[in-house]
Amino acid sequence: MDIRLLRPSDIPLIQHANLENLPENYFLKYYLYHALSWPQLSYVAVDISRPPKTPYDYPKIVGYVLAKMEEEPTDGVQHGHITSLSVMRTHRRLGIAEKLMRQSQQAMVETFNAQYVSLHVRVSNQAAIHLYRNTLGFATEKTEAKYYADGEDAFCMKLDLSFIRDQIKKEALEAGELEPTKENAGG
Amino acid sequence: SSAAAADIDEETQPVAKSAEDRKAAAALSKLDATGDEEAAGHVDHEAAANALSAIFGTDNKKEVKKVKVDAADVALLVEELEFSKPKATELLKAHDGDAVKALKAYLQPGF
Amino acid sequence: MPQPLSTREANLFRSVIRHYEDKQYKRGLKAAEQILKKHPKHGDTMSMKALIMNAQGKTEEAFALAKEALKVDMRSHICWHVYGILYRTNKNFDEAIKAYKFALKLEPESHQIQRDLAILQVQMRDYPGYVQSRFVMLKARPQLRQNWTALAIAYHLDGNLQQAENILTTYEKSITTPPPKTDLENSEALLYKNSIIAEQGEIERALEHLEKDCKNCLDRVAVMELRARYLSELGRKEEAAKAYRALLDRNPDHSDYYKGLVAVLDLAADDEAGLKAVYDEYASKYPRCDAARRLPLDFLTGDGFRTSAKAYLTLMFDKGVPSTFANLKHLYSDSFKKETLPEIAEEYLQERKSSEAASSDSSKGEGAALYFLAQHYNYYLSRDLDKALEYVEKAIQLDPKSVDFQMTKARIFKHQGDLAKASEAMDQARLLDVKDRYINSKAAKYQLRNDENEKALTTLGLFTRAETVGGPLVDLVDMQAMWFLTEDGETWQRRGNVGLALKRFHTIFNIFDIWQEDQFDFHAFSLRKGQIRAYVEMIRWEDKIRDHPFYFRAALDAVNIYLALHDKPQGANGANGSEGNGDDAAEKKKAAKKAKKEAQKAEREAAERALKQDPNKQKAKETEEPKKKDDDPNGTKLAATQDPLGDAMKFLGPLLEFSPKNIEGQIAGFEVYVRRSKYLPALRCLKAALALNKDHPKVLEQASKFHKVIANALDSLSPKVQEVIKAELSGVPDG
Repeated sequence: MDIRLLRPSDIPLIQHANLENLPENYFLKYYLYHALSWPQLSYVAVDISRPPKTPYDYPKIVGYVLAKMEEEPTDGVQHGHITSLSVMRTHRRLGIAEKLMRQSQQAMVETFNAQYVSLHVRVSNQAAIHLYRNTLGFATEKTEAKYYADGEDAFCMKLDLSFIRDQIKKEALEAGELEPTKENAGG
Repeated sequence: SSAAAADIDEETQPVAKSAEDRKAAAALSKLDATGDEEAAGHVDHEAAANALSAIFGTDNKKEVKKVKVDAADVALLVEELEFSKPKATELLKAHDGDAVKALKAYLQPGF
Repeated sequence: MPQPLSTREANLFRSVIRHYEDKQYKRGLKAAEQILKKHPKHGDTMSMKALIMNAQGKTEEAFALAKEALKVDMRSHICWHVYGILYRTNKNFDEAIKAYKFALKLEPESHQIQRDLAILQVQMRDYPGYVQSRFVMLKARPQLRQNWTALAIAYHLDGNLQQAENILTTYEKSITTPPPKTDLENSEALLYKNSIIAEQGEIERALEHLEKDCKNCLDRVAVMELRARYLSELGRKEEAAKAYRALLDRNPDHSDYYKGLVAVLDLAADDEAGLKAVYDEYASKYPRCDAARRLPLDFLTGDGFRTSAKAYLTLMFDKGVPSTFANLKHLYSDSFKKETLPEIAEEYLQERKSSEAASSDSSKGEGAALYFLAQHYNYYLSRDLDKALEYVEKAIQLDPKSVDFQMTKARIFKHQGDLAKASEAMDQARLLDVKDRYINSKAAKYQLRNDENEKALTTLGLFTRAETVGGPLVDLVDMQAMWFLTEDGETWQRRGNVGLALKRFHTIFNIFDIWQEDQFDFHAFSLRKGQIRAYVEMIRWEDKIRDHPFYFRAALDAVNIYLALHDKPQGANGANGSEGNGDDAAEKKKAAKKAKKEAQKAEREAAERALKQDPNKQKAKETEEPKKKDDDPNGTKLAATQDPLGDAMKFLGPLLEFSPKNIEGQIAGFEVYVRRSKYLPALRCLKAALALNKDHPKVLEQASKFHKVIANALDSLSPKVQEVIKAELSGVPDG
């Protein structure tokens, strides 16, 4: 299992993983749209230990996060959004989802200056809610009634990303890339 | 007036039933949008135009090798290999118009 | 020349275009009719009407009308442009390019026609043509950065790296104010240029450019990765090591970074302790990191392996990680490791037993170890299915609600060859967690393997969108569920329903067409977004999209069905009587065509009536796009083919082109070509197969078959072909 950036050639097997795992499915073109609009934001977990059967095998995707920037944020604030996240049930308890999310969040701030990241989750999905709330620090913003095709409600969750921005600033300071200003020189 | 702006892709998507599907459908339907081509406005026009014609002036076209190709050989390749005419001609040209050489090359595994 | 219209009609004409753009087809048609009432031979309006009809799915009539429009107004660029669009939407790209070029000749200043032409050229990989078009577009609007970038891409794709770099540099030099640091388009263009420098092999210069010009680029990972790679390639090992360490601190679960680091550390290949220390550092620094703990198992040997494997397995079992076996089974090519891993698992169980009183939550670890052993004995390199079953039963006893354990039990049954029992067991696993789609998919897959198509569809229907017209099957096709289509097709094939099997494989073929077509919008879109590197990567991938195993498997299945149909024409689904002959088929074709035309006519008349009678009703349906009806849902017509070998070619071509190293494809290719008396392509497949595996029994059989067949056929071939075959035959084993 390996965590790395999504490549366009991964997409058929990402779509496959999504179809196997989740009821919300998309055309290949929608994955392409993510990969070509925000190529820095989507990550995959790959089973690298699988011996290839032919020279044409593609790396097997066991988890992915498909992420984007909100194109026209209603609140006018630059922010990221998680379109889809899933990990094969055979590859759980390795913290893959968390690792994928952290890589994506970091890039949202660095590349697109995202202030926060949002997502939707089924109100019944205990495991996912636990990951977002307890492990990653998301807070529930509101409930959206009948968000899913089968009529289930969604929690709309948000995570403020300023902790990443602060971290980047701190590292830049330490590396001597930033001149300390009065403010961040502290006292 | 021009019909060109009318070149719009037809998505044959199922009608979206959930908020999630609507979002995806909306994003995809906007992919072929045109028109937001505002000028950056920071380009020195004249310098750019000059540099450009200089570049294109130096653009040495790939040399096309002049090889005579027998029409009967083209027909032979089209028939035996099920190549298109241009593809058959290309293969023959790559082998100095020698059909036997071309066919032998074709037979070698391409990996 | 476009014919002039009065102000009123010119306005109407504009509204036709607007309605078309808004997909308000009926309104557009109505407006067009109003103009045509006064000017029945107005070419531009006729063209627009054709365009709308095409969008409504009336392709044939649209083409007829567009041709008529061209007849009355040969000099109208609109007519030619529309003609091109019609060809383009019907995927005849070569003709579309011709029409666009004609339109452009009549209206050389038209930006839109030029743009449409350019997009088609890159879609068709006519790179020299694309360079020309992008050059014209850049000259017309040099103030747009994307026009510069586009020309650079055109040169890049055409293989002219130096010119691509030139264009980017020229733009940089001609801007008068530097873009701000936050300018993403600029950031990406700089990194794109950097990649072009590196692609020319000039690593030194690429590094210099990266450190100077890309310092502030917004894609941090890209900058860091490129820098590490360049430093390593330039032999600046110390700096490279530092760069890889920075990457590992960012993402310690990416194996490439460890490889990169190790490569510049000057460690001897057999210095296991030294290597291990590199990984240990990250294992202790990042307690949740898996790679640093697992990867050393690849190179460690002997006691070193045993110690590390024990630590790793203990950790995984304690956590109850279900993928432990999947992540280690590649080690089984080493027989020592294959024997050691189960020993460690047994030890773990023993130790658990003796300390059971102390630990309150031992069931998780014990279950995980039993589960590991069950998978071990289920794996083909260490298979003992009785033992596998024994372990999985113990695990299930410990945790009867575990989906994973129950799933493995089903897998064991499958390997025992009892597909019915396997399917039943997998369905039981599904019932343990009915809200999980993964286990639902697996249960459906096992039902398909047990030849239960209908039941599988019902199972899958629990997760497909209930409201989709046509049910789960239509939803799965819409959502491009390749795995299902493949399995379902193969199941129908086993059950002897050739029509449905072919139907599924053709659907897969068509989805690949859609995937290829999907890139179309991105030629312009990516330039607007400025994410150029990702775009170029997409182009490279799309170039070989049909090398995907999804394609290979379905295509090979289809080819084999067609071979069987040729060898033994059958009355598949009663559609193709065994006495059926050519005349009959032609007659049938004619009748079908006539019926289709009549149906279309009736439909058209009904639509027109509806439009006249109830102008309000159209509103609701106006924007709804017509879904083309499938006139062969069961594949009856596919199975009734009179030319199975010809049909096989459609699947075979891409198979041989994109997966030439797959011997199964070459074997199938030989069979098709030899039956079609295409001896050179047959020989080519045979030679490729021999190069891949000269001992393959099927290939050897084909080789001697070829000697026999060619001995009879040789005299009938042209002298040049004879000469070639004779010369090449010596390398083909006989008997």
